[in-house]
Amino acid sequence: MKKYWRCYVCGDLHFGVKAPEVCPTCLVKNAYVEISSDEAERTTRPTRRTMSRTEFRTAIESFAEKNEFQVNPDTAKVEMLFDGMFANEQNHGLKYCPCRLRTKDFAEDLKLVCPCNFIIHESYKGKEDGECWCGLFVRRKK
Amino acid sequence: MLVRAFRKEEKVSKLIMFHARECPHCKTMMPHVDRLEKEEKVKFERLEVWHDEKNADMMRSYRPVIAPKCGGQLRTPTFFCPETSDVLCGEVPYDKLKDWALKQG
Ligand code: SF4
Repeated sequence: MKKYWRCYVCGDLHFGVKAPEVCPTCLVKNAYVEISSDEAERTTRPTRRTMSRTEFRTAIESFAEKNEFQVNPDTAKVEMLFDGMFANEQNHGLKYCPCRLRTKDFAEDLKLVCPCNFIIHESYKGKEDGECWCGLFVRRKK
Repeated sequence: MLVRAFRKEEKVSKLIMFHARECPHCKTMMPHVDRLEKEEKVKFERLEVWHDEKNADMMRSYRPVIAPKCGGQLRTPTFFCPETSDVLCGEVPYDKLKDWALKQG
């Protein structure tokens, strides 16, 4: 089961089955202590806010930069997908994938929050011109 | 009367296209669907699923039939024939859609 963890040095929070061995922010070893979901909620609430489209684009671009894929250079397609994601966030609470439908099982539907784990999609896996199901991310040309 | 009798003979398959407004694959498939309806005796009921909860619930109700054929998920576009329970999903060439649709007859 996933739990909340807090770095006792710099206060970074982690949500996962295991705590990171080394805190990725302050680099201290064995720094994570388990905390309650209440504490996690109280400490994160003040920083809660939605992201603008520009911020989201920057976030996924820097995410892609360190990987073998990139954001699709087809800007019109990307804008259309952003329209869908932001509408879904407004209407259904999260940036759900615009090309798949949520099941209404919250845990199951977390797999549809963009970016999803598209590396396993048959539209991407093992394909030279692979892309995520929607085509937001495409494999970077060598 | 005559018109009605004629219409009855002209068997039109009732097919469903589940699509989403901001789904690029659906956008690509729409002209194929238009063309198919014009050239063949096929009619698609187009149901948008991200902005219409009634349509979304309908797609979800077919999940046990649709999902196993679409990578375990509810993907758009999904073409579905309620009579035969046959499914085709994703962006496909015109001829593939046509073959699939005519097979449902
Ligand atoms: S398939 Fe692409 S657009 Fe859809 S959620 Fe995954 S990464 Fe985002």
